[in-house]
Amino acid sequence: MYQLTDVNKLYSKGRRTVPAVRDLTLTIEDGQWLAVQGKTGHGKSTLLNLLGGLDRPTSGTIELDGQDLTRVSEDRVTRLRAQSIGFIFQTFNLVPTLSAAENVEAALIPLAVGSAERSRRVQAALDSVGLADRARHLPGELSGGQQQRTAIARALVKAPKVLLADEPTGNLDEDTRDEIINLLEKLWRERGLTLVLVTHDTGIAQRAQRVGVMTKGQLKIS
Amino acid sequence: MFFVTYLRRELRRRMRQAIFIVLGLALGIGLVVTVTAASAGVRKAQSQVLKSLYGVGTDVTITGKAPKPPSPASGPPKNGQTFTVGPGGGRVCTNGKCHNAAGQTIDSLDSTSYSPISQSEVAAIARLKNVKAVAGGLALSDTSITFPKHFGQAGGSLPTPASFSVQGADTSHVSLGPLSAGTITAGRSLRAGDANSDVAVIDAGYAKSHKLKVGSTVSVVGHKFAVVGIVEQPQSGSPPQVYIPLARAQALGKALGKSLKGDVNTIYVTAISAANIPGVQREIENLLPSATVTSASSLARQVTGSLSSTARLANDFGRWLSILVLIAAFTVASLLTMAAVARRVREFGTLKALGWRSRRIVAQVMGESLAVGLIGGAAGVGLGFAGAAVITAIAPKLSATIGGSTGQGVASAGTAGAVGGGGPRFFSPAAPHTVAVPMSASVTLAAIVAAVVLALVGGLLAGSFGSWRIARLRPADALARVA
Repeated sequence: MYQLTDVNKLYSKGRRTVPAVRDLTLTIEDGQWLAVQGKTGHGKSTLLNLLGGLDRPTSGTIELDGQDLTRVSEDRVTRLRAQSIGFIFQTFNLVPTLSAAENVEAALIPLAVGSAERSRRVQAALDSVGLADRARHLPGELSGGQQQRTAIARALVKAPKVLLADEPTGNLDEDTRDEIINLLEKLWRERGLTLVLVTHDTGIAQRAQRVGVMTKGQLKIS
Repeated sequence: MFFVTYLRRELRRRMRQAIFIVLGLALGIGLVVTVTAASAGVRKAQSQVLKSLYGVGTDVTITGKAPKPPSPASGPPKNGQTFTVGPGGGRVCTNGKCHNAAGQTIDSLDSTSYSPISQSEVAAIARLKNVKAVAGGLALSDTSITFPKHFGQAGGSLPTPASFSVQGADTSHVSLGPLSAGTITAGRSLRAGDANSDVAVIDAGYAKSHKLKVGSTVSVVGHKFAVVGIVEQPQSGSPPQVYIPLARAQALGKALGKSLKGDVNTIYVTAISAANIPGVQREIENLLPSATVTSASSLARQVTGSLSSTARLANDFGRWLSILVLIAAFTVASLLTMAAVARRVREFGTLKALGWRSRRIVAQVMGESLAVGLIGGAAGVGLGFAGAAVITAIAPKLSATIGGSTGQGVASAGTAGAVGGGGPRFFSPAAPHTVAVPMSASVTLAAIVAAVVLALVGGLLAGSFGSWRIARLRPADALARVA
């Protein structure tokens, strides 16, 4: 469970200080799907970065299962990300030189999983996103949808509690978008994930249990 | 193994860049290896030259100062023979009594380049601290001239003297001095039991030109010496032509008409260790202030000619060129690695988001840099071998002139004045001596180790700049920068 209390994140732009997230207090229950909408530059991605421990707030606390991400060491946050938090990006962010299977395997490297176990889990993850037959393909040899499936497999291979998706369908056509969202929804249900999904698409947002809109750094849950 | 797979794929992705870095490092390291090999070759050549002068194991050589030629005003010496040409024709003076030269033969065995040193000094040097072994020697010249019966008549010309060098060798210390550097190709060397025997070891070149072999005899101031061995010195030059026991040389030789009994003119010294050589040299200089004391290093400083120029070229120009090329190669490698890291910011940000620690990513980048460095090092060693082979193949023989700066000249035979003043060049460290030595560049194990170290340093240096940037990279910044 996430518990955010009075979270503020300020950025310096020259002499100006720009608030990216303002006075945010929010609880996200385990297994909940929260969709976050909002215009570009209103703090959606910053919120995801804060939830994923990729950035630290200027003030306030962010607790994940009782651990305050703002107070623990960088090493601890890194370990938490490796074990419990999966990321999906709009641009897939696959390593171009590694095959689909190796990209998925990369998520298990920090967990020091043995080679045989890694292979088994990678195969299972690719199976679960329907890409078992594309395991040896490089990202450049895959379609956009297949690349995002690979990214989803990479996010899920470590069996995280939390999945943070930053506009995962932003670079996909409509058919592929539906395919990916259906897949995410299926995995969310099957695995009991806590899913925070940033999207511009109202149709996708409406499939979530809760929908929030970020406006000038403030989140309003509908 | 994931680390290796990732490393290999990444290097393959930026193959052109990796090849460029490898070539740069290979060039720099290859140059270092080649220059090191050339330097080693030059050192080896220098060592050959010095060894041939000194003999194996000799650390310090002492020679008597150059003798002053007798002034014509002082008249003929009371002892010894001289030849003078005046208005009445040629005159030979023996022990102060002069006769017409026509039809006469004069033969002398003289110390022409060095003044004698008492043999007791050999024992005194042996008693010095840190001296391991000492041997005395006599560098002499046997010169003979036969005047024709019609000598002095109109149309008569001055006959050409025949001369050869004779080395009196301490038969109880043949492992020190000129004989030690040579290889006995036939017969045997001199030995302790030969001290008072009329036996000789002949230089291979002299033996060939005079058709001498073991069992032949050679005449030294009219005394027959049985040839017991042929010796070949390590390189061309003018080694002694006849080696006889020191005691016999002392008995037969003269210096400005005076007997050399109980004298030597060259002393060979071995120090206990290389570190003791300067101290031993200083002590001997204090003991014998008028003698010339040279060590291998002081002699090396007197080497001139193309060997010296090549040594300077290899040591100075070559070294600086290598350093400059290496700096350029390291800089290019570092800049290219930093550029590669800059292009991979999103990748590293993603890996950090996946839970990779900074040090794991740094290790990956360092691994890539080290791999490139090691490939560059291996290519550099290959280039170094090729460079050394090219130098060995095309380098001309190097000439080395030694001893010219000591001020000790070499008198020429046949000039008016004392016959004893003539003779061939002596094979001695203090006399001017030019030899030709082959230049061969050989890659040493040390050079290969240096290449590997340089490759590692190059790789680490290139990787460390990129790694420093990765370590400072915040994942949110990395992801935002490309969003």
